[in-house]
Amino acid sequence: MASVNNRISRTYLTSSPGQTIVAILGVVFGISMYVFMTGFMTGVNNTQTELAFSALAHVHIYNDRPADRSNIIQAVYPDAVVNISHPKIIKYTDGIKNSAAITALLKSQPEITSYTTQVNFNVFFKNTGNKINGTISGVDVQNEDKVFNISKYMVKGNWIDLEKRSDGIILGSELASNLSVSIGDNLNILTADGVSKNYKVIGLFETGVAGTDKIKGYININAARQVQAANAAFVTDIQININDYNQTEGLVNKLAPMVPYKVESWQMANEQLVAGSELRDIIAIAVSLTILLVAGFGIYNIMNMTINQKIKEIAILKAMGFSGNDVTQIFLTEAVIIGIVGGVLGMGFGLLISWVVNRVPFKIANLETLPMTYDWQDYVLAFIFGLIITVIAGYLPALKASKIDPVDIIRG
Amino acid sequence: MTNKIVLKADSIVKYFYEPVKFEVLKKVSFEVKRGEFVALIGKSGSGKSTLLYVLSTMDTDYTGTLELNNEVLTNRKQNELADFRNRNIGFVFQFHYLLPEFSALDNVMLPALKLKKKSKEEIEEAAYKNLGLLGLQEQALKKANRLSGGQQQRVAIARALINEPAIIMGDEPTGNLDSKNTQIVFDIFRELSKERGQTIIAVTHDDDFAANCDRVIEMRDGVII
Ligand SMILES: Nc1ncnc2c1ncn2[C@@H]1O[C@H](COP(=O)(O)OP(=O)(O)OP(=O)(O)O)[C@@H](O)[C@H]1O
Ligand SMILES: [Mg+2]
Repeated sequence: MASVNNRISRTYLTSSPGQTIVAILGVVFGISMYVFMTGFMTGVNNTQTELAFSALAHVHIYNDRPADRSNIIQAVYPDAVVNISHPKIIKYTDGIKNSAAITALLKSQPEITSYTTQVNFNVFFKNTGNKINGTISGVDVQNEDKVFNISKYMVKGNWIDLEKRSDGIILGSELASNLSVSIGDNLNILTADGVSKNYKVIGLFETGVAGTDKIKGYININAARQVQAANAAFVTDIQININDYNQTEGLVNKLAPMVPYKVESWQMANEQLVAGSELRDIIAIAVSLTILLVAGFGIYNIMNMTINQKIKEIAILKAMGFSGNDVTQIFLTEAVIIGIVGGVLGMGFGLLISWVVNRVPFKIANLETLPMTYDWQDYVLAFIFGLIITVIAGYLPALKASKIDPVDIIRG
Repeated sequence: MTNKIVLKADSIVKYFYEPVKFEVLKKVSFEVKRGEFVALIGKSGSGKSTLLYVLSTMDTDYTGTLELNNEVLTNRKQNELADFRNRNIGFVFQFHYLLPEFSALDNVMLPALKLKKKSKEEIEEAAYKNLGLLGLQEQALKKANRLSGGQQQRVAIARALINEPAIIMGDEPTGNLDSKNTQIVFDIFRELSKERGQTIIAVTHDDDFAANCDRVIEMRDGVII
């Protein structure tokens, strides 16, 4: 039975090719837009994240301000009337003291791909008349590059040179131009504790993130400890990267009870980034679903039109003994074929649009062309959505067709 | 065996409600035996087509009872009736309704493909044979909407025969045909009823045609006289 019905569907599809093509084009348009929009939005989000991760690790361990315990009396005697004036919360320790124990722990975590230790502090950069407030990162040169990929952003000099040069400093390009220094020039820094020291500019970097390029300088971690008069195990921050930056929660929950410092994921520290990328995702899905729905309406209209034109033939089929279900099946098969053909072509066309857009020049902040991702799961999803919508759009008219009373039509 | 009743209509009453309530069939009762070749005649508007639609199970909006092949078909579900028609009734409409996008051959084959009692090859062979009987072997692969009125009517007859139904109903099945083709169709019907025991009920305005049938039923204003 199915084969007769399929044969009828096929004949109908091929005998009015114009309508069939219009219906298929509707699906093609919907699916290709869906695929393109999601690929583009994901591309934008990924670029955004990549830019953010040039200055941001996935997980960050640092010495936070201690918890407010100024009212411990209340904790013991909840009913007591307590009156404390001018409580002061004092930070007894600075930085991370037992960094070797923590890094040993990090080494045994399989999901961690890289980590680095830093000694960060605020300074004044001075070059004769110019005096600029900024920060210095004393870094473990090789590991820093593994976590932040900083060597990629070098515009002058070599990142790795910092390893051997305890008097070398690498500056953000904008900071250097504000200070009127260039590679090879000398530069003086002044710490909050009043220590002053001279460095030689051995490189310039440009991440595209203005907040970094304007205020940051890198020196060797040992040089930093020297300036801060700290021992050889002292660090202020530990930066960690993991396999999948969306899966920070597991590691944070695992490390937090074992490490006596603040363990923070990038999502916790940068809610605006997370919100931005989620909002873009929502927009992309809303736009593409709307397009698919509009295409669905197109198919619905065409199927309705076809069925009105074929009302006599449906009556004849029923007079010859085809049941309501057969009629539904005939027109639903038409819709499914339109959905599948349109879906496959739509995925191909979407890929083509994405490929073209991906080659449109767009030279802002490290970008060369418009960003794009090609995720097969998006394509499969678009195909499935498209098929569901065509099936619904075809089913409603098909149901109407199945209810046609043959006598009414044949009697005329 | 030949005297078995194959069609039994009992007190069939049907109304049309548009434009005014109007009784088209007024307590129509009659029986037809297996293998009988019956002509249904009467003036235009006397209710012949209306009766035939009721008998063919397509029209279910009537009172009274209809029994075909010993099955009571009154008040049955649409899908059951469709299946019954497919198995037991061949119908030739007053206006030769074919599926215009299909070839003559496909039109003839469709009811058999739906019935699925034979393989596709057997069905195709039978369809060619039926078309041949009606002088249409040349037209088999032409699309139905490319055929003349008379050719279309003959394709419709070939289609009505394909499942070897117990009952063949025709609403002026020869209305569009010349005398030669009318004779061919008549001979086919005659042979089917005589040799294979198929029952034929044909509405006709052709007096010669009616005169040569086994029995003539005449209608006037919704009653059989
Ligand atoms: N759909 C309808 N609605 C209302 N009245 C109808 C309808 N169809 C037919 N009639 C009326 O019912 C009566 C019987 O019509 P029917 O078609 O059965 O006549 P007939 O005997 O087949 O005539 P003809 O020989 O011209 O085909 C006529 O008076 C006709 O006007
Ligand atoms: Mg009539």
